[in-house]
Amino acid sequence: MSTAGQEFLRKAAEKSSDLVHRGIVRWNIDQYDTGVGKGKTRFADWSAARQRCHDIKWEGVNHLDKYLLQFEQKVKENGGHVFWAETGEEARQYICDVAARHGVKKVVKSKSMVSEEIHLAQAMEKMGIEVVETDLGEFIVQLRNEPPYHIVTPAMHLNRQQVSKLFHEKLGAAETLDPPELVAIARRWLRKDFFSAEMGISGANFIIADAGMLTITTNEGNGRLSTSVPRIHVALTGIEKVIPRLQDLATLWPTLATTGTGQPITCYNTLMGGARRAGEVDGPEEFHVVLVDNGRSELLADLEQREVLHCIRCGACINACPVFRNIGGHAYGVTYPGPIGSVLEPRLLGFKEYQHLSFASSLCGACTDVCPVHIELHHHLLHNRRNAIHEGTHSASERLGIKLFRWMMMSARRFRFFGWLGRMALRVIHGMGLEGTVLDPMRPWTKDRAAPAMPRESFRDLWRKQNGVR
Amino acid sequence: MASADNPSRERILGRIRAAVQTTAPHHDGPAGQMFAPVTDPLERFQKECAANITECTVTADTAASAAAIANVLASVPPGEIFAQDAPELRALVSAFKDGRPLRWSSEGPPNEASQATITLCEALVAQTGSVLVSSANGGRQATVIAPVHIVFAKLNQLVPDLEAVFARVYERGIASKNSYVCLITGSSRTADIEKILIMGAHGPRRLIVVLQTGG
Repeated sequence: MSTAGQEFLRKAAEKSSDLVHRGIVRWNIDQYDTGVGKGKTRFADWSAARQRCHDIKWEGVNHLDKYLLQFEQKVKENGGHVFWAETGEEARQYICDVAARHGVKKVVKSKSMVSEEIHLAQAMEKMGIEVVETDLGEFIVQLRNEPPYHIVTPAMHLNRQQVSKLFHEKLGAAETLDPPELVAIARRWLRKDFFSAEMGISGANFIIADAGMLTITTNEGNGRLSTSVPRIHVALTGIEKVIPRLQDLATLWPTLATTGTGQPITCYNTLMGGARRAGEVDGPEEFHVVLVDNGRSELLADLEQREVLHCIRCGACINACPVFRNIGGHAYGVTYPGPIGSVLEPRLLGFKEYQHLSFASSLCGACTDVCPVHIELHHHLLHNRRNAIHEGTHSASERLGIKLFRWMMMSARRFRFFGWLGRMALRVIHGMGLEGTVLDPMRPWTKDRAAPAMPRESFRDLWRKQNGVR
Repeated sequence: MASADNPSRERILGRIRAAVQTTAPHHDGPAGQMFAPVTDPLERFQKECAANITECTVTADTAASAAAIANVLASVPPGEIFAQDAPELRALVSAFKDGRPLRWSSEGPPNEASQATITLCEALVAQTGSVLVSSANGGRQATVIAPVHIVFAKLNQLVPDLEAVFARVYERGIASKNSYVCLITGSSRTADIEKILIMGAHGPRRLIVVLQTGG
């Protein structure tokens, strides 16, 4: 198994037995589930909302060239700059160049998962630029030197005690277990950053072709300040985020809010199409949009998996996933956790190192059920498994094992014989008091679980007896 | 930027064009009505405001609006206030005159320490209890910077739902005339710590809509 795979197993085992961690995550997801359940009742027809979201994203993704060019033209007409980056490296370089050209010393960031994907902050810090995350959850994980735990709620794994201790240690704030006071500490701390930063970096939830604008969705207002006060605004986004029309947001905004947090609509849905215009009171002097490919066009070329690009990053599949609920967001070791990440990351980072993510799923389909844009997530996990096998990334011993298994399963007689042999062998081993020792072949499975006693008879034996078949 | 500076542009576009030659299967399903129609916009707007924690005051005329704004300002700590420089708000200036410094948007963006900002809006949305603002409403910072944001609106600005507000955005060219548009729903909040809802993260703690039906 790959190094990343071994690390994944180690962290998953550690986190799934950390009861405090599981308690915090369970509490958060219970709150989320209640909110979303209530949120969906606001819709006359939730399935119609999902269908419309699918239609919009399908239209955008299947005519990506047309809509990206339309968007680019509009942005340029309004004096903005559009840069197309094939890789994370190119995107980083472009943004670092813009920063260097303007002598930028401090950057305020609103949430952008693409910036995590391309490790932008680290590159800017290397240039000596201070990068400040301004979303409260992001701010907290940045102070802890951690990546976001979840794409919507980055600090989901922490409780107020931990946040209080962190603010005390890193910001010198007085310890408090009062959540409003904790928020106030962050507000006061970040205010000076908004006003001293020369550059604001945002992501984009959608880029809108016919308006030449992009939209960001936030509750706190940090995204608005980051894109209003500093002299330069850089928006960083994946090429798949384009939608055809402004009025598509009448569908997407409430749906994203509902599956993201359970809100009817998020507090601030901001549309930005450029720098400050003549006659406007304020706003940045320069506006740059960086369109990141980083493997997305290859996904587009795969008809079977193209719909993965429909994802609107609401986090619903992550919250629904029993794997995530047990191992948490950091165990995955990648930018996008949960089912969407387990589909996307092995594609983006390579099956050789990351195929284990597609295998670490019970394929229960809860992710597919909740996806607001109808991505068949658990089928894509299966596609990844098949593709990984075709790439020959699995070991010789695994290949041999599967061959033997297949040989055994292809004959009723062999199946019967090996079933009997297995039950017998286990009875003997356990009878000798070797249960749970290294000699017990069931040990990998039973070390974290209690197994029922081995029956003497197989299902086939019982069936025959009860039905009088000989 | 010239395409010579960005050779990746053509490469990415080339790959996209080759890929979308073939269209992916479309998931077909029933295209029903997402939301029940809004029948009484004013009633719905007030109900949604109460739910999303916007303080909505409905007034009959300019005098009542001035009184409503003065009433809000009376509860705001001393310090400068900021207002969008618009005739409608100049007409209400008596309401702001309680001895505190007043800065109009024609003098530049609000000071960071502003105690309250007063602006007009582009539209109100009944379905979600939202306020649509643009950079024309005193600038980008005018509607986010202070702890209190007061919006003065007229009843003819109220539209039933999101579909209708986008129709208005197109009709009036709001998205093409302004570099910045924001649909505000309630005051700034966060639930990033233990999913507990806290008001007043980075934006206003209080959002007040003074909605004038007459005059």
